Amino acid sequence: MKKEKRFSILFFMPFMVCFILFWLIPFVYGCYMSVNKVSLTKGNVGFVGLSNYLALFNEASMYASEFIEALKNTVLFVIISVPLLVITAFILALIIDNLPDKLKGFFRTIYFMSYAVSVTAVSAIFLWLFNGNGGFINNIIAKPISWLESQPYAWIVLAIVTLWWTVGYNMILFINGLNSIDGALYEAASVDGANFLTRLRYITLPGLKNVMTYVTLMSIISSFNLYGQSSLITKGGPSQSTRSLIMVIYDTILQKNNLGVGSAMSIVMGIIVMAFALCQQYLAKEKKDLMEVNGSEKP
Amino acid sequence: MKSHKKKLRNMVIVIIASIIAYLFLIPLLYMIFTSFKSLSESISSSELLPNLWTLENYFSIFADTTTSPIIRWLLNTAIVTGVGTLLVVIVDSLAAYALARLQLPGKRKILLIIVWVMTIPGIVTVFPSFYLFKNLNMINTFIPLVVPYTANAMGVYLIYNFLIDFPKSLEEAAMVDGASLFRIYREIVIPCIKPVILTLAFITFLSIYNDYLWPSLVVSINQMKTMTVGIASLVLGSNFVNPGLMMASTVFAVLPALILFLLLNKYIVREDIHVGIK
Repeated sequence: MKKEKRFSILFFMPFMVCFILFWLIPFVYGCYMSVNKVSLTKGNVGFVGLSNYLALFNEASMYASEFIEALKNTVLFVIISVPLLVITAFILALIIDNLPDKLKGFFRTIYFMSYAVSVTAVSAIFLWLFNGNGGFINNIIAKPISWLESQPYAWIVLAIVTLWWTVGYNMILFINGLNSIDGALYEAASVDGANFLTRLRYITLPGLKNVMTYVTLMSIISSFNLYGQSSLITKGGPSQSTRSLIMVIYDTILQKNNLGVGSAMSIVMGIIVMAFALCQQYLAKEKKDLMEVNGSEKP
Repeated sequence: MKSHKKKLRNMVIVIIASIIAYLFLIPLLYMIFTSFKSLSESISSSELLPNLWTLENYFSIFADTTTSPIIRWLLNTAIVTGVGTLLVVIVDSLAAYALARLQLPGKRKILLIIVWVMTIPGIVTVFPSFYLFKNLNMINTFIPLVVPYTANAMGVYLIYNFLIDFPKSLEEAAMVDGASLFRIYREIVIPCIKPVILTLAFITFLSIYNDYLWPSLVVSINQMKTMTVGIASLVLGSNFVNPGLMMASTVFAVLPALILFLLLNKYIVREDIHVGIK
């Protein structure tokens, strides 16, 4: 058994080395930079305590307004996109589930296909679909709309792009969830004469509770990471209204040359995302408990 | 009577599914057809199909190898995604095997750390990693483009979860026969967990292929760009005013991943993609 122990360490070693080098060290170093004055060109100038963090919330600082604005924009995007991503994925999964077996694979592949397209290619395509001048959509509709230069159209475009690009992945998770629901439940329900909505309410939705929580969580996290679409399609505009958190962090570090404040922004963003995720998980659990309580009260 | 009603219901669903499928396909059809349109047609056309098919866009992107070295970008992408995916699968499956099957010291603590790390958003490590690689003078080399992906706690957890649900009788039989642990791992464990290995390979491939923020930080010269970063520089560059030209280069960014996707997607559509639900 001693030999097995040695072997197990040997097997685990490559991952541990990679993990320490490419996750732990950058993580610790990021925390360290966030309490120092660091720039890309001059390196570390000295310890500054929490002043990088305070700069994010002190209105006199030039970073605060940008950061808070971007935080608002990003949260707005999360609020717009997450329900769309979850509900549409669920509807698509239901459609696939109700198709004749022969056709399921075909449609599932088509709905999931766009997930394999990179965000930059997605942006190139949708830029020319929605471009104000010479864009395909404006060539079709009678009255051209400046999709990318005015609100709410810029958000609508970003929501459509994100939906087209990523909804397939959520749909696959829902399809897997639907497949794991016990078929006998549906049979029993149809013997009892339950209609589609009743089955949805009492069998499908409760059966998908875990998947629903997971999909919502993942959608929240990925929507917070909005970067490629908004930096390439709307370029943060019109008038900075679609500038996301990652865009501001990128500019702070690469344009304004301030790694200290940029690191502090990254960490604050990380904490906010984690807080949202934990809240969502807590709410989902709470609801489950409430439902169980209500259920047990019924005779 | 009942089967008649069922047939009608099926037909309605197929029609709805087809309309949605068409909507999903429009952007890709637009990309492909626009790449065969001339400049004047591509900015004024209100139809998907070209009136006059032309290959001029393809000729000009291949002619201009300073702004759009497509072949070089594809080669870089193949190296980065190929080596990256292989490394991730090897490193993660070895670690998961040690965690799920062997007497690894501190097993429980390690698992706890892995689960915690998965909840920490990636943005926290992106820029510090970039700064460290920059200080090591590794910008514009393949190293930062490939190796950081190996710190993938999610992959370890995915395979670990699959392994602990998997019967170990075969491995035990081999152990009794005196096979070495590495042989058991290579000849019994890997073939047995092939579906989850393929799932991980597929997810890793797509995430490396499609990654934009990280490679755009560690690459600044055109010759070292991946396809994804290359397309971004075209979108932001001068080619962009010509949609036909832009779409022709986008076709090269989309097709390789799409073909691999169509070949492999049947493997990902199964239970084991449920990572983290448990």
